[in-house]
Amino acid sequence: MNRTVTRPMIAADILKLRRHRPTMTAAAVLSAGITALYLAVVLARHNGQLPAAQTLADGTTLMGLYFGSFAAILIGTEAGTADVASGVFRDLAATGRSRTTLFLTRVPAAIAVALPFTLGGLILTIAAAFAFHGTSPAPGAGLVAESAGWVVLATAAVTTLAVGVGSFTGSRSITLTAIIGWQTVATGLLYLATFLGAARDLVLLISLSRFFPGPAVGTRAHPGSSNALNNFKLPMPAATAVLVILAWAVIAVAAGAWRTRTRDA
Amino acid sequence: MLSPMTTSSLIIETRGLTKRFGGSTAVADVNLRVPAGCAFGFLGHNGAGKTTVIRLLVGLTQPDAGSVRLAGRPLAAQRAAALARVGAIVEEPRFHNHLTGRENLRVIAAVRGPQSRRQLEPALARVGLADRGDDRVGTYSQGMRQRLGIARCLLADPELIILDEPMNGLDPGGILELRGLIASLVAEGRTVFISSHLLDEIEKTCDAAAVIDRGRIIAQAPMRELTGGASLEDRFLRLTSRVGDR
Repeated sequence: MNRTVTRPMIAADILKLRRHRPTMTAAAVLSAGITALYLAVVLARHNGQLPAAQTLADGTTLMGLYFGSFAAILIGTEAGTADVASGVFRDLAATGRSRTTLFLTRVPAAIAVALPFTLGGLILTIAAAFAFHGTSPAPGAGLVAESAGWVVLATAAVTTLAVGVGSFTGSRSITLTAIIGWQTVATGLLYLATFLGAARDLVLLISLSRFFPGPAVGTRAHPGSSNALNNFKLPMPAATAVLVILAWAVIAVAAGAWRTRTRDA
Repeated sequence: MLSPMTTSSLIIETRGLTKRFGGSTAVADVNLRVPAGCAFGFLGHNGAGKTTVIRLLVGLTQPDAGSVRLAGRPLAAQRAAALARVGAIVEEPRFHNHLTGRENLRVIAAVRGPQSRRQLEPALARVGLADRGDDRVGTYSQGMRQRLGIARCLLADPELIILDEPMNGLDPGGILELRGLIASLVAEGRTVFISSHLLDEIEKTCDAAAVIDRGRIIAQAPMRELTGGASLEDRFLRLTSRVGDR
C-alpha cells in the first residue's frame, strides 16, 4: 500500500468515527465514565483512600477486558460496518480503489480512535492511585508503564477483531452481540472449564491476560474473593500467547478483507 | 433495431455483457457503444436492466459473460485506471449523514487520491453547495443530496459521469438546474451517461440514447435518428411494444 494514498484514507476513516456522536458518547461513558464511577465507589468504601496497587490492577482490567474493551468493540464495529450500512461502500468501490485497501485502512483508524478512550480511563485510574494512595505505597513507574502497554495491546487486539468481524458480517447488531457475548459469557465459561486444559489458551482474552501486569485476580481465581473483576489469567507460555493473539488478528483481518472484496456493492 | 453508433472514440464499449441472478437473466448480451463528449440517455422501463448495466459498468458486480471498456481501458484487467476518471451515482446518492457535505467529499477525495482533494472546493461551488458545505448531510433536501452526489462525481475530474435516475425526487426548478449542469459538463468535453425513464427529459438533454428492454439493448442511435421525427415517448413505447400495457 502506498503511504500517500493510505494516510489520507486512514484520516478519513478516523473522521467518520470521531464525528459519529452516539459511538463517541458511548465510548466516553464506557471508559472514563465507568472508571470515574468505579473510583468513586472504592474511595467511598475505603474512607477516601485507595489501595494503590489493587486500584491500578482493577483499572487496567476495566479498560483492557471489560468496559474499555466494550468501547473498543463499539468503535471497531462502527469502523467495520459504517460504509456498508450507510450505502457509501458502493461509491467507495466505484472509485476503482482496491477493496482490500478500503478494508485495511479501517483497522489503524479504529485503533487510533479507541486508544484515547481506554488509555484515558487508565490515566484517570493512575491519577487517582497517586492522589489517594494514602499510607499504602504509590504504584511504581514500571508497573504503570506495563499497565499502559497491556491496555494498548488489549485495545488493539479487540478493536482489530471488531473491525474484521464487522466488515465480515456487515451488521452492527450481529457483530456487537457476537463479540461482547464471546468476550464476556463464553470466555468466562471457558475459563472455568478446567477439563479443557491447555485448549483454553486459544481464547483471546485468556491469551491477552497472560501479559496482564500482575497476578490472577477475581472471584474465579480466588473463590470467595470480593473482587468482581476476573482477569482470566492462566499460566501459559508467552510464545503461545503471542501466537494466539496474532492468529485472532490475522483471522479477523482475513475474514473482513475477503468479505469486503467479494461483497456485492 | 436502429443502426449502431458509428464513432471513432467510444467512452463506453461493452461486448456481450451478461448478468444472471439465480435462474433469471437480468442483462443479456449487451453491446453498448457510447461516444465520448456527449449526453447519452439510457432508457428502459423499471426493471428493464438499467441499474444492473450501470453496476456492471463501474465494477460493483461482476458479469457472467462479456466485457466492459471505459475510455478504451478494459475494466476487468485495469480496474483502477479504467475507473480513475469516472464519476457515478448508482441508484440514489448515499452519504454518511452524520458528516457535513464537505466532509463526505473529503472521504471520497481521500480514496481517489491527492488530485481529487484539489477538486473539492470547485466541485462544491459548481453544484451551488459551497455555503451549505459545513451542514450535516442529514439536513439536506433530496435535491441537495443529488447535487452533492454530482459534486462527488466531479472529484474524479471525470471523462465520464454516470447518473442513474438523476431527476428522481427533484422539483421542476431542480430538474432545470440539473439540465443546465449536464449541458455545461458536456460542453467541457465530458460524457454524461444518464439512465432514466423520464423520456421527455432525456429527449431534451441527450444527444444520443440506447433503449434496454427485458435486459437487452433494442436500439441505440443519435437522438434524431432514434426518434425518426416522432416524439421519443412514441418511439420508445413502440420499440418496447408496451403501448397496450399503459
